[in-house]
Amino acid sequence: MKSATQNMNLTRLEQEPIHLYNRLQPYGILLVLEEPDLRVLQVSSNAQEVLGIPLENIINQTLEDIFDAFQVGYIKEGLKDNNFDFINPSKIWARVNGGDFAVFDGTFHRNSDGFLILELEHPVSYESIPFLSFYNLAKTSISKLQETTSVRDFCQIIVQEVRKITSFDRVMLYQFDENNNGAVIAEDKLENLESYYGLRYPESDIPAPARRLLTSNWIRIIPDAQAEAIDLVPLLNPVTGKPLDLTFSTLRSPSPCHLEYLYNMGVGSSLTISLIKDNKLWGLIACHHQTTKFISYELRKACEFLGRVFFAEISSREETEDYDYRMKLNSVHSLLVDSMTQEENFVDGLVKHDPNLLELTNAQGAAICFGGNYTLIGKTPLEEDLDKLIEWLRENVDQDIFYTESLADLYPEAIKYKDIASGLLVIPISKRNYVIWFRQEVIQSVSWGGNPYQSPATELSLCPRKSFDLWKETVRGKSLPWKQVEVNAALGLRKVIVNIVLRQADELARLAQDLERSNAELKKFVYFASHDLQEPLNQVSNYVQLLEMRYREKLDQDAEEFINFAVEGVNLMQSLIDGLLAYSKVDLHRNQLAPTEVEVPLKKAMANLRGRIAETGTKITHDLLPTVMADSTQLTQLFQNLLGNAMKFHSDRPTEIHIGAKELEDSWLFSVRDNGIGIDPQFAERIFVIFQRLHARDEYQGTGMGLAICQKIVEFHHGSIWVESELDRGATFYFTIPKGGEEGESTSHNYLASGRQ
Amino acid sequence: MNPHHTTILLVEDSKADIRLIQEVLKSSTVPYELIILRNGIDAMAYLHQEGEFANAVRPHLILLDLNLPRKDGREVLAETKGDPKLKRIPVVILTTSHNEEDIMYSYDWHVNCYITKSRNLHDLFRIVKGIEQFWLETVTLPMY
Repeated sequence: MKSATQNMNLTRLEQEPIHLYNRLQPYGILLVLEEPDLRVLQVSSNAQEVLGIPLENIINQTLEDIFDAFQVGYIKEGLKDNNFDFINPSKIWARVNGGDFAVFDGTFHRNSDGFLILELEHPVSYESIPFLSFYNLAKTSISKLQETTSVRDFCQIIVQEVRKITSFDRVMLYQFDENNNGAVIAEDKLENLESYYGLRYPESDIPAPARRLLTSNWIRIIPDAQAEAIDLVPLLNPVTGKPLDLTFSTLRSPSPCHLEYLYNMGVGSSLTISLIKDNKLWGLIACHHQTTKFISYELRKACEFLGRVFFAEISSREETEDYDYRMKLNSVHSLLVDSMTQEENFVDGLVKHDPNLLELTNAQGAAICFGGNYTLIGKTPLEEDLDKLIEWLRENVDQDIFYTESLADLYPEAIKYKDIASGLLVIPISKRNYVIWFRQEVIQSVSWGGNPYQSPATELSLCPRKSFDLWKETVRGKSLPWKQVEVNAALGLRKVIVNIVLRQADELARLAQDLERSNAELKKFVYFASHDLQEPLNQVSNYVQLLEMRYREKLDQDAEEFINFAVEGVNLMQSLIDGLLAYSKVDLHRNQLAPTEVEVPLKKAMANLRGRIAETGTKITHDLLPTVMADSTQLTQLFQNLLGNAMKFHSDRPTEIHIGAKELEDSWLFSVRDNGIGIDPQFAERIFVIFQRLHARDEYQGTGMGLAICQKIVEFHHGSIWVESELDRGATFYFTIPKGGEEGESTSHNYLASGRQ
Repeated sequence: MNPHHTTILLVEDSKADIRLIQEVLKSSTVPYELIILRNGIDAMAYLHQEGEFANAVRPHLILLDLNLPRKDGREVLAETKGDPKLKRIPVVILTTSHNEEDIMYSYDWHVNCYITKSRNLHDLFRIVKGIEQFWLETVTLPMY
């Protein structure tokens, strides 16, 4: 048998209908009975040997014919109540080989097809425990349990107590996760045995049919794992013509796979107690012995009882732990909210304080993507990977929360950072803003009971180490699952962040409103300045001049000089006001940028300056000029100021100005080159600052606003302006206008910034 | 009022500006009568010959400032140019504002010319002389 299954594929276990596997363990006799006269339909093939009665004298006989008729009558009465607990186990006497009476523990059950099944075991009287000693054992165990708090410690005590009662070589407590993968969470064993503590098992180790059996049959015993299995006679049920459903049978033989598994582990006998929570298999107490070991019905029941009592306690502790965890997360949540409100930027509140947002979901890493910036904490993928991940989230996630324990299954790109981000929990705040938690691959986070990689390699295909390897395969790219409380905590945080963001949006809207209002006020001011402020100026100017005109003969030279100063002052004030107006108009009159032939505003500027151009005999030339996205009026002003400047700061030579244009990648580079006095490079930045002048007013007239206005106009077009010059060598003013209007802004800016170095 | 004189209506609130215009016009060679009103309401009442202005003489030329108390020059312009009985009277805007919007607005309302007041007295003389020479000596003004 063993060799036949040597190469058996473990996955075949999945499909095997093991409850219909009609072979039996030989340690007892199984009888299938037809009611009501309890006639034997089928019997295990060992009956002949054990009872010394030929099988043909058993099949089709009634129980009365085989066993003590008085007892059978008593049992028949018990069966009428239909409650097997009252009659299980029944002592049943049989005359063996026509001689001495032998006593059996008989247990009845009815299978899914309604057949009554009687299983007879040899009682092991010396192991039967009187009620009081069982009670004391249970009491001692329970009081020990009450002293422990954590579920882990609790489980450890359970395995110790069960081992004490049963004296198995090894008792383990398995727990199944949501995906039915198992883990050994407690173990008590003989010193010299290899420890299985901390090992994990893939779901396929105890596949769905086996789990179903374990769920319906809470206790399972294999007293001799190497015993040859026997058959029922006849093989098929004579009534149905099919194999018999042996789900609830104690004697049902384990599947060859399971037996091989036990054999490979060096297990001679085993006892398995199911731990059921909410009708689901929560875990198992698995007892292994190196040699054969029979556990009597009473002792089995005692273990099952202990298992149930202890497990009820585990369940409530688990709930307490869940509750405690939920409370902890609640407290983390409120501390985070406090921190967020304290910080100016709520993101800082999530990462700079203790606790941080990792603790809200028990994650190893988190990324906050906000306003195009990342704030990272703990172990996270690289920003360039996050960019792609967020792109994927944007296209695939539109709910308030999204989580997975195996991201790479959905998003294959994630396989490269599965170590740190197999698990993903995301709360989208908007299509651009996300809070993302990462959980590492479970293999990275499992704490081993001893390093599993150090145990000797084994050729056996069915053994815990191989299972463990298989488990590692099945959980590759998987993280621990996100608990519902963690998901809820994340959702809670999302609500808070959304509120903060909405409030910020409100504030922004209000700011924008304020800005609009102050802009409108500025416009009013501009108008006020352009009219009301100029009127009194004009008045002063005109009357001073009238004074001079009318009383010229009566004034001495001093008076004339004073009048000139007064007029000059008024003129300067007027040009300052004009300059201020022009400066503020750049922003205020936000005309739409439109395709503009640069030559048009240039010619207009030259026309405006024609007086001075003629006066100074300035020669102006230009390259072929392109069409750009611009505000033509502002370009006119720009050229006018630059040309005016060039003419103002002329040298002894006749002024020559050349306007150049050069195409760059994203923008046009314009230059206005003159042959004037030039500018000391140390002032190259300063000249663009409003009201900054390099010369006294009586040397060169000016308000100190011309170039500030130029800079504002260029910036309004998202370009840059600068000057390159040396004293006495003329000056060249450069400015750029992006080709696409406002787009392409940053690139052209960067390009030029570096180009200027 | 002498019907042979040319009548000019000056609508201007600033005493200083009124005086200045008067001073400049002193040197005029053309006989004219200058009627001065300080706000838009009075100007419209005058033009419509209402109330105290029942016997008002229809002006040959209106010199109008834009910023006036009670009813501003823009309204006066619009009402004048919108009124079939008044729209033939030439209106010259004489203002400190060189605001683009004001200029466009005025021409949209068929102003006859828009002149920005100068702070240079000589320029001002030149402007007023120009007005005088052009509107009082050169052009043929409509008969009522």
